[in-house]
Amino acid sequence: MSDQEPDKEEVALQARLAKLNDALRARDARQAAQTPTGAAARGNSLGRAMSAGLNVFSEFVAAIVVGAFVGWQADAWLGTKPWLMVAFLGLGTAAGFWNIYRIAARKAPSYEEDETPPDGKA
Amino acid sequence: MNPETAAKPNPIEQFELVRLWEHEINGVEVSFTNASLYMLIAALGVVLLMIVATSSKALTPGRGQAAAEMLYEFVAGMVRQIAGEEGMRFFPFVFSLFAFVLIANLIGLFPYTFSVTSQIIVTFGFAVFVMAIVVAYGFYRNGFGFLKLFVPHGVPAPVLVVLIPIEIISFLSRPISLSVRLFANMLAGHITLAVFGGFVALLLGAGAWAALAPVPLLAITALYALELLVACLQAFVFSVLTCVYLNDAIHPGH
Repeated sequence: MSDQEPDKEEVALQARLAKLNDALRARDARQAAQTPTGAAARGNSLGRAMSAGLNVFSEFVAAIVVGAFVGWQADAWLGTKPWLMVAFLGLGTAAGFWNIYRIAARKAPSYEEDETPPDGKA
Repeated sequence: MNPETAAKPNPIEQFELVRLWEHEINGVEVSFTNASLYMLIAALGVVLLMIVATSSKALTPGRGQAAAEMLYEFVAGMVRQIAGEEGMRFFPFVFSLFAFVLIANLIGLFPYTFSVTSQIIVTFGFAVFVMAIVVAYGFYRNGFGFLKLFVPHGVPAPVLVVLIPIEIISFLSRPISLSVRLFANMLAGHITLAVFGGFVALLLGAGAWAALAPVPLLAITALYALELLVACLQAFVFSVLTCVYLNDAIHPGH
């Protein structure tokens, strides 16, 4: 008899835990569905658009700057004055486009479209 | 820095470094500047949030503890999702980075404060540190297999000749783009706020035009909401990209 009692309690506890877990999941799903709507949506999209724009800008410009710098240093080092810089500037530009292509192609794990709201956590 | 009250509005005055305590070691200047002060404040803010707010360890968290726990779970979820279970060994690093950048961004939003993350050397320092960890851990874990990072799958050999230098330049551009992104967002936001604040001051001093002064003031209110979002979003983006790069170090084969 003393065996039966804790078993019962255990089962009841498990059932209650499962119920709470389901409730939590449901709440999370509801929150995830709600986040993009509401009054903040407009400012949100503007902020995201600005962030995406600066993102593309920095990726593109950074690659060109690095290409030019590598070419310039290689020229100074090897004494082939303009040619390596010209070549690496071209490669850098290609790398810039390649970076942007990767941002555009990175659909699923993209932080621009991530469901988790980055704000509201502070 | 509050340009509203400045006699002559100068939108970039707010980024000026001021030596609070001048000092030199062997001819290298190590003065304690306002940037150093605000970095200390940001670090203290993180410590306050993490240690003091969670010290009670209440089962029903208070406001501070709830914020700390949310921040923790948020970053933990992000690291696990992007860099995998193995990436969790970098969780303390990513969390410190995220919390510091976030708090520094948010502190910079208060009028009269200094925004540490709008100094490119600070963000570049972070970015170079991240890339140094990526390269060091990548070689430590994978040996020369780390170099597979620069060789995309399923590409014919003649294309590789062009693609490998492009991949290498693309990799080298990461610390720059990572730092410029955060820096440019913070700089642009703070300059915009200061310029609009300058409009208010100018309109107030322009006789009858003073009637229009509330318009830019309202715009500042809207911009502040945007800046709050940008401050959080950029801290998030910075740490997401850190995780993406760390993932490259752990799994270099794409």
